[in-house]
Amino acid sequence: MLSVSTTRRARRGMVREWRLHALSVFSLAVAFVCLGAALLVVTNLVALEERWAHSGRASVYLKDRATQHEVDALRAALARVPGVTGVRYVSSGDARVEFGRETEGRSELAGLPIEAFPASIEVDVAPGMPDRDLADAVVKIKQLPSVDDVETYQSWTERLARLVRGGVTASALLAIVVLAAVLAVVGSTMRLVLQRRRAEVEVLKLVGATDGFVKKPFVVEGGVQGALGALGALALLGLLFLVVRGPLDSELAALLGIEPSFLPWQVALGMVLLGGTLGAGAALASLRKLVAV
Amino acid sequence: MAQGEHFEPFRPMLRSGGARFSRDAAKRPILAFEEVYKSYRQGAPVLRGMSLTIERGEFAFITGSSGSGKSTLLRLLYCGETVDDGRILFLGRDVARLRHDAIPFLRRNLGIVFQDFKLVPSWTAYENVAIALEVLGLSRRLVRARVGEALERVGLGGRGEDLAGVFSGGEKQRIAIARAIVGEPALILADEPTGNLDPQLAIDMLGLFEEIHESGATVLFATHDRTLLEARSRRVVVLDEGKAIDVPQGIATDEYETHLPH
Repeated sequence: MLSVSTTRRARRGMVREWRLHALSVFSLAVAFVCLGAALLVVTNLVALEERWAHSGRASVYLKDRATQHEVDALRAALARVPGVTGVRYVSSGDARVEFGRETEGRSELAGLPIEAFPASIEVDVAPGMPDRDLADAVVKIKQLPSVDDVETYQSWTERLARLVRGGVTASALLAIVVLAAVLAVVGSTMRLVLQRRRAEVEVLKLVGATDGFVKKPFVVEGGVQGALGALGALALLGLLFLVVRGPLDSELAALLGIEPSFLPWQVALGMVLLGGTLGAGAALASLRKLVAV
Repeated sequence: MAQGEHFEPFRPMLRSGGARFSRDAAKRPILAFEEVYKSYRQGAPVLRGMSLTIERGEFAFITGSSGSGKSTLLRLLYCGETVDDGRILFLGRDVARLRHDAIPFLRRNLGIVFQDFKLVPSWTAYENVAIALEVLGLSRRLVRARVGEALERVGLGGRGEDLAGVFSGGEKQRIAIARAIVGEPALILADEPTGNLDPQLAIDMLGLFEEIHESGATVLFATHDRTLLEARSRRVVVLDEGKAIDVPQGIATDEYETHLPH
């Protein structure tokens, strides 16, 4: 447990060596920005994957020559497929209007001719419908003469899943880099601080301070450095996120169906705790050899 | 610490009231060096089977020429160095056999004053003295009261908030003395405490140590300053060729003249 004396000595040490500590916190913040950015990308990729994995829909694109009778027959047949919860016909004109509405007329694609938007039957699928059943149904639907193509977005979600896995791996690697950075930065700072406060340590040991009593303030300083570094990184990332989010928000929402989100508070808190723990651990490791008196 | 090994802090056998109190130990001297050997280089021992006994409440000078082992003797006592052979019994316990973890508890029973003061210049006088009590875990109120008393005692009352770095040499030594006495230790060790002071200040400082001694503390005062030795007729222990030569009545006689520093 931390005593008043420990926190007071740690605070006094940090105030007196504030330049050194500030430099250390900045270096740690840079390292944590890399980790935070990777986690931010992963967070949004996961949201995107979830959005599309549970979209529960398929688009059946129709051939231009499909007659109204064929379309009605297809709609009726699709509605009878187990797991299908809704069927909606979207004509070429409707598709173009819908696209224009989603892009709010800002996209250059809004000027495309009506032929670029094929008529389709939008099929809502129950979220619990197995992928194999959906694939079987797709194979059968594709064989119908009025059907041009069927899009289930499965390959898209598979690519997303691969991206997420890659992001998680990259984050894990970055976490190792951050760990090494924290150990190096906090360790070096602590050794420097220890050197500058050699007299203090010597006095403490001469008056009967235990090694634990001597080390505690340094460990607290290391922990605070780590936590402040992570906090600084979060603040910087938050600022960048707000700057970038403004112009991209609606575009991404239109194209991907999700709005970009910042790190959840649990992840942010975890980063700060990780920073504090790593900082304290690094300080402790660097203090193994105290001044011998 | 190895698994299962019992950690035992330094607990004096002479303090009454404790579980370790021993009547026999209480009758014994506060400090006894028994056949102590110490060398830093092979073939050049500093202490060669040195034996010395200090009774409770004594004031003794330790003297000898440079390199005779005055500082070594004190360093062995507070475990700043390890003993090669022999025993050093302090308060009934052999400090030469203490485990590393027990050393802080030994030092809490000692007040140590150095020639170079060993103060933290960026701390206030109050903080420099208070740290000796903070390591004991005393309450802030008690620390404040006792540090105030100690600073008053050394003539620095009201200057507790000044940074130690701004004090003069003599005043710094007074802060160091306040730190040494604030915990009311059983034994005060002074290692050339007047070495950096002018002659008049040195005599004043000796007077301060004598006042502390009169209040009941045992004092070991290491010095090579003859004027201090001649100023008082107190017991002098001369270290020569690794052994201790006792001069119980001081250096009024010239019997030990050849061993004394000039």
